[in-house]
Amino acid sequence: MTPHWRSHSGTLVTILLLLPALIGFFGLFFYPMLLTVFLSFRPEGQVTGWTLENYARFLSDPDGRWVILLTFILALGSTALSILLSVPLALILREKVRGHQFYRLIVLVPLVIPGLIGALGLLLFWGVRGWFNLFLTQLVPFVTGPVAVNYTLHGLIMFYVWLYFPYTCVTTLSSLESLDRSIEEAGAVSGATRWQVLRHIVLPLITPAILAGSVLTFMAAFGAFSVPLIAGGNYRPLSVEIYKEISVFIPARWSAASAIAMVMGAMQVIFLSLYMRYVRRAGGAGGIR
Amino acid sequence: MTLTRAYVRALWDGRMILGYTLLLSLTLFIVAPFLMIALRSVGKGWFYRLWLPPQLTLDWYRWAVEVGNIPEVMKNTLIIGIIATAISTVIGIFAGWAFGRRQMPGKEVAMAVILLPRMIPPITYALGVAKIFYTLELVDTYLGVALAHVSVCAPYGILVLSATFEGLDERVLEAADVCGANTIKRFFYVVLPLIMPGILASMIFTFTHSYNEFTLTLLTYGPNTVTLPVRTYLAVGDGYWEITSAMAVIMVIPSLVILAMIQRRAEPEKLVGGFKGV
Repeated sequence: MTPHWRSHSGTLVTILLLLPALIGFFGLFFYPMLLTVFLSFRPEGQVTGWTLENYARFLSDPDGRWVILLTFILALGSTALSILLSVPLALILREKVRGHQFYRLIVLVPLVIPGLIGALGLLLFWGVRGWFNLFLTQLVPFVTGPVAVNYTLHGLIMFYVWLYFPYTCVTTLSSLESLDRSIEEAGAVSGATRWQVLRHIVLPLITPAILAGSVLTFMAAFGAFSVPLIAGGNYRPLSVEIYKEISVFIPARWSAASAIAMVMGAMQVIFLSLYMRYVRRAGGAGGIR
Repeated sequence: MTLTRAYVRALWDGRMILGYTLLLSLTLFIVAPFLMIALRSVGKGWFYRLWLPPQLTLDWYRWAVEVGNIPEVMKNTLIIGIIATAISTVIGIFAGWAFGRRQMPGKEVAMAVILLPRMIPPITYALGVAKIFYTLELVDTYLGVALAHVSVCAPYGILVLSATFEGLDERVLEAADVCGANTIKRFFYVVLPLIMPGILASMIFTFTHSYNEFTLTLLTYGPNTVTLPVRTYLAVGDGYWEITSAMAVIMVIPSLVILAMIQRRAEPEKLVGGFKGV
């Protein structure tokens, strides 16, 4: 039994330990967010007064609604494609095929490379003079002209997949590797074919991890900024639209930008909480690890 | 239905070939853009439909260094990265110890709140950070940009370090006590070697995030604190693809060193933060 004073000093130590993190949190996140909230309700360029005009203007504008839709299309499209790419990939890499360590390294590349560099390389590779179109026009029969990839919607989704699929892939792979092989062996012994083992044992067991990883991909894709900024062309998701308000207009439209930022933050939080709820349910009783 | 089934079966039977095709196309998909950048940075007169540049040159690197001011930019990036890593690591060690080792009510909630910045797109709070830094005159200072980076980097440090400290085995510490080590000895000979890999991993990850951070830098940088991502962005806007590629090559080298370190020393799933829930 610890003395009364001792438990008090314990709490004090815990609070002191958390102090730097709390200062950082309030100074660099909470207060800036609060400021953004206030700004979004101020008339443009003023420090007093309240208005809903900034929201009204953005949400009633057809362009504004298209921007929201576009952001979701990009984020959800790239998340779905990332899952489709990651699951087979993780299943292969788990088998320790020849050179698997090299491929593991390759998967990590987009994570450590600055997004801008990735986007630059992708623009060069998929461009009209890039290797992709050279391959199509020179080596594939019946293809007459170059195919447009850069600055199109499908191209942008693919760029997102390049950048953000590792989140899903790494999570799926680490869950697959911690899977107990004896469960699969039990399935095989009971007469299941390898396909049945995969379909009815392995996939259900790793589904929570796949979904948890896809949440990370979704968050990254929803908030993506650098890539659509230089590779989006006319497709400007919410993040770029926010930056446009303060960089293109003189004087900068901080209140309009803040209102869009609030809409974006709220959408992400709402969507994430719905998604996490779904993921928890799909994960069964255990939920996410 | 039977057709689909037959199709799936055929795919399943050819899975070895399919698997290697997938791996090869993935490698191409990820690596080819870098090859294009590398070739573009040393190519000259590469205008027509050619697979490889007709002439090689190092002029673009000279341009990048002289006009793009890369050494200065690299210095800024490293200084900002080091400050951001130091602050984030200190925050991470303290908070990680509190979360990993100490009892407290509402731990889950506190952790979720402190990690909240990871759930929100950075651009949304970058606006407020920029506004505040303008009034505090922190914009265009090393400390200012580094502090802005901390808002992104610190959550990763806290996550990695609290997992590290949580994994510290109580029995090993007790064994040290039993063997007669005092607190200082115990810390330097037992605890420190055990947590060092975690601290190192946390530093690598936070530095990577700071090195790659673009959104918050773009809103808080100035003429004296141009970092590599911002410099690349400005170069893309200028439209000189060759010089931009040369900059990109210079910029990618530290990332590849980091990648090698991650592969050797740390678990990649910690980099994505996909452990212990999301």
